[in-house]
Amino acid sequence: MIALESVSKKYGARTVVQDLSFTVEKGEIVGFLGPNGAGKTTTIRMIAGYITATSGRVTVGGNDMASAQQKAARLIGYLPERPPLYDNLDVRSYLRFVARIKEVPRSSVDIEMERVARACRLEDVFRKEIFKLSKGYRQRLGLAQALLGEPEVLLLDEPTIGLDPGQIQETRSVIQEFGKDRAVLISTHILPEVTLICQRVAIINHGRLLAIDTPEGLQRAAEESAIVALRVGGETRALRQALLAVDGVTAVDVEEADGDLIAQCRIDDRSGIEAAIARAVAPHFDLHRLERRQPTLESVFLHYINERETTEAAA
Amino acid sequence: MSKVLAVYQKELGQYFRSPIAYFAVAVFLIGTGYFFTYNIFLTGIATMTETFQSMAILLLLVLPAVSMRLFAAEHESGTMELLQTLPLQPWQLVLGKFLGAVTILLLMTAGSMIDLVPLYLFGHPETSTILAGFIGFFLLGMACLAIGQFFSSLTENQIVAALVTVSVLLAFWFVGHLESFQTSYVLRSLFAYLSFSAHFAQFVLGLIRSEAVMFFAVVIAMALTLNASYLEWRR
Repeated sequence: MIALESVSKKYGARTVVQDLSFTVEKGEIVGFLGPNGAGKTTTIRMIAGYITATSGRVTVGGNDMASAQQKAARLIGYLPERPPLYDNLDVRSYLRFVARIKEVPRSSVDIEMERVARACRLEDVFRKEIFKLSKGYRQRLGLAQALLGEPEVLLLDEPTIGLDPGQIQETRSVIQEFGKDRAVLISTHILPEVTLICQRVAIINHGRLLAIDTPEGLQRAAEESAIVALRVGGETRALRQALLAVDGVTAVDVEEADGDLIAQCRIDDRSGIEAAIARAVAPHFDLHRLERRQPTLESVFLHYINERETTEAAA
Repeated sequence: MSKVLAVYQKELGQYFRSPIAYFAVAVFLIGTGYFFTYNIFLTGIATMTETFQSMAILLLLVLPAVSMRLFAAEHESGTMELLQTLPLQPWQLVLGKFLGAVTILLLMTAGSMIDLVPLYLFGHPETSTILAGFIGFFLLGMACLAIGQFFSSLTENQIVAALVTVSVLLAFWFVGHLESFQTSYVLRSLFAYLSFSAHFAQFVLGLIRSEAVMFFAVVIAMALTLNASYLEWRR
């Protein structure tokens, strides 16, 4: 449904997005991760048709955003980073306006408005003026307008910002329900959110796509640099030698803490390595604890971001 | 046209939920009432001629307050991002907003017609002259709004939009005065042709000339086309 082919965006000499290519299929929720200024919002804006790409091709439902933006716009529901609301309208008038522009048939406008208001829990404020709404309600109203007209593609830029935990849970449910048979792209800073609702994750930094895979796939890829940590009693040099002798251990850091030694072994991705380490250590040292630190999505994210920065610095 | 209507209704809803429209209409009507009373007592003639001139100047100063928010407020609040990503053509947006602002102008025009009550009660004014004056006034107002709407699309700041619009409108109003300083025939003709006041003066005299009607129509069409093209280009 969404396809980016070698998309770049430049503002003067500054390149904000560079050679970006990925797709989002129907029935898929893709998380878009990246630090501030990585180019997430610019990319989403290009897909939404708010700005055009300097080079490359963005298509939504097969419609090229450069030549058939109006056709593509009929398929898109878009929640920008800052909910686009008219403070001096009431919730009902606002949703009615968006529904009419989205070509919702006149006879079903009321039904459609009620549907999105129910999904986003806006019933209580349906007749309230928008300037009187709390931040949470404003965010939910922004999401409601994006859901109007049952768009094929949903683009959400930080959809859960400003919501309390309960509301975040509800919003995630709405997005998950919606994403069952539609294409959803979510830009977010909240990493657990990605793990919970996204089938795939795209990591972007400095306008470049660093990785795109399932959350599990990204974690597996980062396991090359997984760590086994152990706490033992004994002598530093001997411990280091014992650990480095284990097949699969690539590097060892040892430091003292409260009379014990804390060792961190960088290991490769073969299985059963923890047992091999235990066998090598237990006969000669007092082994108090041994654990394999699974990479969290957060560490995966930092791994990709830092790896790229290190490569660029070296170049 | 249904999308133009949707934009138009949204604009009207916003105008009447904010104090600006009420303020602009009130200032205009109080000013018009003052000038009407002053002119009638000064001349003792049942005519709107002098009042129309004052109304036009007042219009140049008040209408930018109506047009300034049309796009600048959308940029400022981030709603432009919504409008430009919805299935809405720039011309539909521009036309819907313009018609919303023209409705406020229509209210001003209708409100100023209250001056006609004492005029007809105590005198014998020329109806055709007055009618021509109001047509000219309405065309001038539409041209001012179209220009103001275009400048509003160029900035996020409503005050900047209003100040630039007032400056441009006053320049168009007084440009005719430069005619006498020119030795070149081309420049003299150009300044005379561009003068809002010269074209408006013909309506005040009771003349509805196609040249003057076309002039205002072309100014409106050009400003609205520039407005829509700018929105398209901005993407």
